[in-house]
Amino acid sequence: MECIITIEIGTNAVRILAIDLKGNVIAKSKGSYPTFHREPDYSEQDPDQMFITMLYVLKNLLSEQIHPKNHTVISICFSASMHSVLPVDRHGVPIGYAITWADNRGKNEALELKNSGIGQKIYEATGTPIHPMSPMIKIAWMKRYDSKRFEKTDKFITIKSYIIQQLTQDYLLDYSLASATGLLNIHTRKWENNALDFAGIKAKQLPDLVPVFHPLNRLRSEYQKSLGLPKGVKIIIGSSDGCLATLGGGIWEEEKATITIEDSGAVRVVGKKPLNDPQQRIFSYLLTGKYYVSGGPTNNGGIAFEWFTKHFGDFKEAYDIEYAMKGLITEASRIKPGSDGLLFLPYLLGERAPIWNANARGSYFGINIKHERQHFIRATLEGILYEIYSIGKTLEDHKNFNSLTTNGSFASIPFCTQILADLFNKPVSVGKNPDSIAQGAFLLSATDLGIFSDLEDAAKSVVMSTTFEPNYQNNTAYMKYFSIFERLSSKLHEEFADIARLQSEL
Amino acid sequence: MPHCPFKYHHETLAEVDRFPHIVEFGLRNNNSVTLDSFEVRKANYLQLYYIVDGKFDWIINGKNETLYPGDSALILPGQEIGGAHGYFGIGTLYWIYLKVEKIDSEGCLVLGKWSRIKKSEWQIIGKILESNQKPVMRAGEFSSMFQVMQSEIENSEIGSFTRVNYILDSVLILLCRQVTRQAVSRRDFPKSFTNLEESLRKDLSHKWTVEEMAALMGLGTTTFTEKVKNYTGFPPLNYLINIRISEAIRLLKLKDINITDIALETGFYSSQHFSTTFKKLTGHTPKEYRKRYTSN
Repeated sequence: MECIITIEIGTNAVRILAIDLKGNVIAKSKGSYPTFHREPDYSEQDPDQMFITMLYVLKNLLSEQIHPKNHTVISICFSASMHSVLPVDRHGVPIGYAITWADNRGKNEALELKNSGIGQKIYEATGTPIHPMSPMIKIAWMKRYDSKRFEKTDKFITIKSYIIQQLTQDYLLDYSLASATGLLNIHTRKWENNALDFAGIKAKQLPDLVPVFHPLNRLRSEYQKSLGLPKGVKIIIGSSDGCLATLGGGIWEEEKATITIEDSGAVRVVGKKPLNDPQQRIFSYLLTGKYYVSGGPTNNGGIAFEWFTKHFGDFKEAYDIEYAMKGLITEASRIKPGSDGLLFLPYLLGERAPIWNANARGSYFGINIKHERQHFIRATLEGILYEIYSIGKTLEDHKNFNSLTTNGSFASIPFCTQILADLFNKPVSVGKNPDSIAQGAFLLSATDLGIFSDLEDAAKSVVMSTTFEPNYQNNTAYMKYFSIFERLSSKLHEEFADIARLQSEL
Repeated sequence: MPHCPFKYHHETLAEVDRFPHIVEFGLRNNNSVTLDSFEVRKANYLQLYYIVDGKFDWIINGKNETLYPGDSALILPGQEIGGAHGYFGIGTLYWIYLKVEKIDSEGCLVLGKWSRIKKSEWQIIGKILESNQKPVMRAGEFSSMFQVMQSEIENSEIGSFTRVNYILDSVLILLCRQVTRQAVSRRDFPKSFTNLEESLRKDLSHKWTVEEMAALMGLGTTTFTEKVKNYTGFPPLNYLINIRISEAIRLLKLKDINITDIALETGFYSSQHFSTTFKKLTGHTPKEYRKRYTSN
């Protein structure tokens, strides 16, 4: 059987899937790698460990599940997390570890730029909100505070570019990932001079730009041999995790949005034009030359519920967090929607869209003497989903949608999907393949192979397994509380700043 | 059982020539404060305290610690301990000083021949105790163990040598388990695993076994292997090879370190073993890999 391999270089792990040409997953495997935090705001990964882990997982998958069954790999497609920066010297040797999207070291630089006129201009040109996640900010920080590393750097590449370079020798970057660096003009598809100036670099210090369908040069022969891949296999550079999750979410230009919630989350839409939000709350990244993925990200998805579970869950089995989460969700379902007036602001990790406030912190609000343990569980889940809804609401300022799809481990929990449907007051469908990033990468490869006529055709092929219909009464209950949630999130601005400052002094 | 103060010290114990490894062992009952009786000092021995009653304010390794009944404090040779105000405090406590034979090249404590703990196990116990960040631990079971030790030493009945040393071994094992229990959050596998990863990277040339890795996480080997496989996608030893190879790749790109040194530094048995493992994964030998990189 012929199959397509998707390689997703994620934040915590590499996930590799083999999918047959009809879209069925025939094999999958993953390998994780750590994130290092040398300083509180730092978030770094070892690029060589990521490469080796990717190679190891790919090799095992091929030799254990693909070659013995005589499947033929005809195409490979890559996806990767956005916003990573890896400085390399003129020999291509990494200088230190790669800096990931979660790294906040440039928070002061970001704040400074955001409030300036040039900041607004850069946002409009690049579609990337001015935030420490942006590689432009990270490079500017490095120039200021780590000049030794900055001076030694020949090129600033991404983790994906590094892995592609290891496999094929070329320094390449697809327009999708490039549009999340804060350095690319998404209208002209050229590096943006204002942004390059702010970062303090020249365009030649960045990888060469190619479309997402770009076929990579042949693998270095040693990898070709050790992986046992046929000579004709087509390897395409692919896109970013966010763009592919959107494509894999099966939404296209029509009035639809997709919600992805894993540890973090996002709400996204696709269109022929980028959405330009005067308050800089929305990102717009390039999916292809013609299409943009716009939306808002949250830091506090499943990770906030995981935090709650770790500390307040019931652990009968050591380390079995899934079991503990299931137990909590059962308890939460015994409480009425709205948690009898208990509210939770989920900003444990600061927040991105829509409030874009790194100082934001979590809070339970409205506790009264009748509230019990179960109320706190339900309020926690509702708070995480209120935050998702508030991103959706921001998007609706720019674009209408009348139904949603959802994917990712947290959003696909039926209890959560129902709350999402009730909040949006719109039907929410769950995709058949929960790995929407891999699904998106598969669709990209399949379109490239001519299986679909274009990406729109490909997106329409995504099969939904279940649809959750909204409950009007629940919606009414939620909306009353949501308006307080929304007000608290912006009203507490000063107090968030004060408490964050005190916490940083600990 | 009432607690009557007693004190055995090196001479009384050595006199009978049975417990040369025990420098001091005793129970004291402080009813009043003697100024300057307990100043902060570097420990020469492995020192263990167990509070029976009262409250003691001490400074251990520069940190203020308050000890209550049921608490024990473990001080390793070279660490510092003393009273917060220069005196001991009021209450009753057991203390025991053990001679440590040596601290070996890997920084491991080596006890004398009296101990029945296997050498391989002692290496890891030593590592765990050395890594301990919280010298004060709950250890309620020590009270009765010390009482038995006292009567064994006092009565010198047949087999007392074995029983006393057996209790000492048990005390050290319990301490070691308590240290991992404190350090490892049972609710947060990823966090504990990150700590393990750091320990592995810090000492990559060491020939880590699954038992050692599991012990650092405070888990049995079966559960450990299953959890790691589930979490990382790899069995523990394969995960370790990932780290070894990634570090080797980094070193191969530096020109001034030779391949045999890289092999040993990253924990391979020999340059041959390194070469085969490397080739199996990447398709080329370390030498070829280095050549490719430097010719780029």
